[in-house]
Amino acid sequence: MRFLFIIVFLSVFSATVRADLTIFACEPEWASLSEELGGDKVSVFSATTGLQDPHYIQARPSLIAKARRADLLVCTGAELESGWLPLLQAKAGNSVIQTGASGYFMASNYVRLIDIPTSLDRSQGHIHAAGNPHIQTSPLNIMKVAQALSQRMQEIDRVNAVFYQQRFDDFNQRWQAAIDKWQQQAAPLKGVNVVVQHNSWGYLFDWLGLKKVAVLEAKPGVPPTVSDLNNTLNQLKTTPATMVIHAAYQPSKASDWLVDKTAITSVTLPFTIGGNEQSKDLFSLFDNTIQRLLDAAKQ
Amino acid sequence: MKPLKLALLIAASLGTSISVHADEISDLKAEFLQMRADYEQRIEQLEQRLAQAEVTTNEVKTEVASVKATPSPTATTRNNNSFNPAISMVLNGQFSNYSESPDNYELSGFALQGEGGLAPEGLSLGESEITMSASIDQLLFGQATIALHDDAGTTEVGIEEAFIQTLGLSNGITVRAGRFYSPMGYLNEKHIHAWNFADAPLIYRGLFGNQLTTDGVKFSYLLPTDQMIELGGTVGSGDQHPGAGTNSGIGDWLIYARTGGDIGTNHSWQASASHWQSSPKDREYAGGHNHGGDAGADPVLFNGDTDISNVSLIYKWAPNGNFKQKNITLLGEYFYLNEDGQLNNSTELAQYDAKQYGGFVEGIYQFAPRWRTGARYDWLGSKLRASDDELLTDADLDFSGFHPQRYSLMLEWLPSEFSRVRAQVNHDKSSRNDDTQLFLQYTVSIGAHGAHSF
Repeated sequence: MRFLFIIVFLSVFSATVRADLTIFACEPEWASLSEELGGDKVSVFSATTGLQDPHYIQARPSLIAKARRADLLVCTGAELESGWLPLLQAKAGNSVIQTGASGYFMASNYVRLIDIPTSLDRSQGHIHAAGNPHIQTSPLNIMKVAQALSQRMQEIDRVNAVFYQQRFDDFNQRWQAAIDKWQQQAAPLKGVNVVVQHNSWGYLFDWLGLKKVAVLEAKPGVPPTVSDLNNTLNQLKTTPATMVIHAAYQPSKASDWLVDKTAITSVTLPFTIGGNEQSKDLFSLFDNTIQRLLDAAKQ
Repeated sequence: MKPLKLALLIAASLGTSISVHADEISDLKAEFLQMRADYEQRIEQLEQRLAQAEVTTNEVKTEVASVKATPSPTATTRNNNSFNPAISMVLNGQFSNYSESPDNYELSGFALQGEGGLAPEGLSLGESEITMSASIDQLLFGQATIALHDDAGTTEVGIEEAFIQTLGLSNGITVRAGRFYSPMGYLNEKHIHAWNFADAPLIYRGLFGNQLTTDGVKFSYLLPTDQMIELGGTVGSGDQHPGAGTNSGIGDWLIYARTGGDIGTNHSWQASASHWQSSPKDREYAGGHNHGGDAGADPVLFNGDTDISNVSLIYKWAPNGNFKQKNITLLGEYFYLNEDGQLNNSTELAQYDAKQYGGFVEGIYQFAPRWRTGARYDWLGSKLRASDDELLTDADLDFSGFHPQRYSLMLEWLPSEFSRVRAQVNHDKSSRNDDTQLFLQYTVSIGAHGAHSF
């Protein structure tokens, strides 16, 4: 008992030495953005890595412990985390991260969502009623989220408000410049026909002008059947595509099948930070994404 | 001298011609300057126009962006039902086959209670559960699970859980009140449909009649540590089996501690210990379903003190922590019951002292996104002593010290996260009659997207 008490005492004591704002980010892109905007005034934890499917995360004990101490949840929302985040909120005993509270920030609330289904029925697969939640694939969305997130950080941690504003202004400037650079680099990608494995790239395609001609998963979240794949194959005979895209956390089985059958090039995109070794922060994520797309378009 | 003169002459004539040329050049120069000025003016004008065009484009761009940013008004009518709770329903059905008659099923050293028997042989409808949940107000959250099942031709309605819980009291404190699955062990807090096998572990069947519930209040405190450490307890009415009878105050209580964390990104674990205590009043034996209500006119009753301790350990593995593709779950639990009191019926009374214990280990391997397989081993033991053995026999308690065991194998196909088809085989040695059991089962969930705990 005494031993337990000592452990408890030590951990409570060590826990008091920390940054001004403790941020619990559900996905690595929001962890990286929080670091950009908060600098050394924030300590950031990412609940998932770039190699995990964010739909299917376990509400692990370690996540409950982190959620209990968080001042701010920064998540995608739009039902992406509905299988695990509500449990963390219920078990954390933390009033500030409850839905609608000051420490509850859902990035998808600050951008315009696309692919909002017109009818909701589970026979259509794993559909998101709120729309496509994979908003981090476009830097324009990140820009909007950054503004809203910085504002929220300034509201919660007023003492450092000026600092957060400066960090945001600086980030915004660098980000705008980077967007201009990426748009120039990606000019040859405009109008290129592509096939995707899972329908998660809408925002990226809208930004760069890529044209999605087919989706291998006929129903989102349901692995494609042989007849689904054959349908895609027939479709590609009339509208050929240059490349087939899948995210690093997804198995490439369906893409490989298509590469086998056609002359198409397969591209694995990082999808988020940590999706591959080169994608270390938001800037290198898009550097790498565009580079990989350009390389594939050249082949 | 002549050549000099000539040279001078030439020079002079050249000089005039040069001066004539110089006039023309200055004219040209002026003209050129004029032209340059003209062009510069024109270029300037063009530049201005270009700049203007750029500004307009940017303006349009920002306008478009702002239009995009403002969410389009959604055509929803705010009816009274917009505050309806999240509703989900679990449906299941199964086919069961036994080599022995399920009516003769016994668990040596334990008395079967409540739902503790075997599922009916052949095709049967399992339990249908309806769960509703919603925030109540700024402080509370409420959830209820109603179970419907058929028993001998009549439909029974049961309240599995119905509780209210604080919505983040802060400082890691959570309070829950109502009826809920007691925070004892690992599987106990999960609904049966979320278990990995079609039937309960033998120790759950033997001690609790499948699951231990509390009608009362639960308090839990989560420490502000990196390693998850949760301490808590419950107080209850004392009438939920193995408790019995009414109490004016606290009828049962429980304390528990739970801790867990990650090891790298691939491994995660949780360990827990708990202790439950009650003083049952007139707990009836031989009332189990399997005995078809022949509890008799003169049932054996228990009065005394009961306490149960539990330890559990769970470990999960997934490559890169990505559970979707592949994962392994290992789970082990051990329970120990200690009971001291009296057994009696209308004519006899005996001193009674019992130890009932046992546990199970199971391993589940999800080898593909939609396939899981698993194995489980159950093991029980008991040491029952009474001053009059006849009462033990009347209570259907086998006091020979036989060790029940069971081996189970299962295979699951999961078309989506909302449905599951399961096949399971048991080699069951719950009593001296070995039984081979086969289950084919479907379980689906409709409605709101449920979240499952670790």
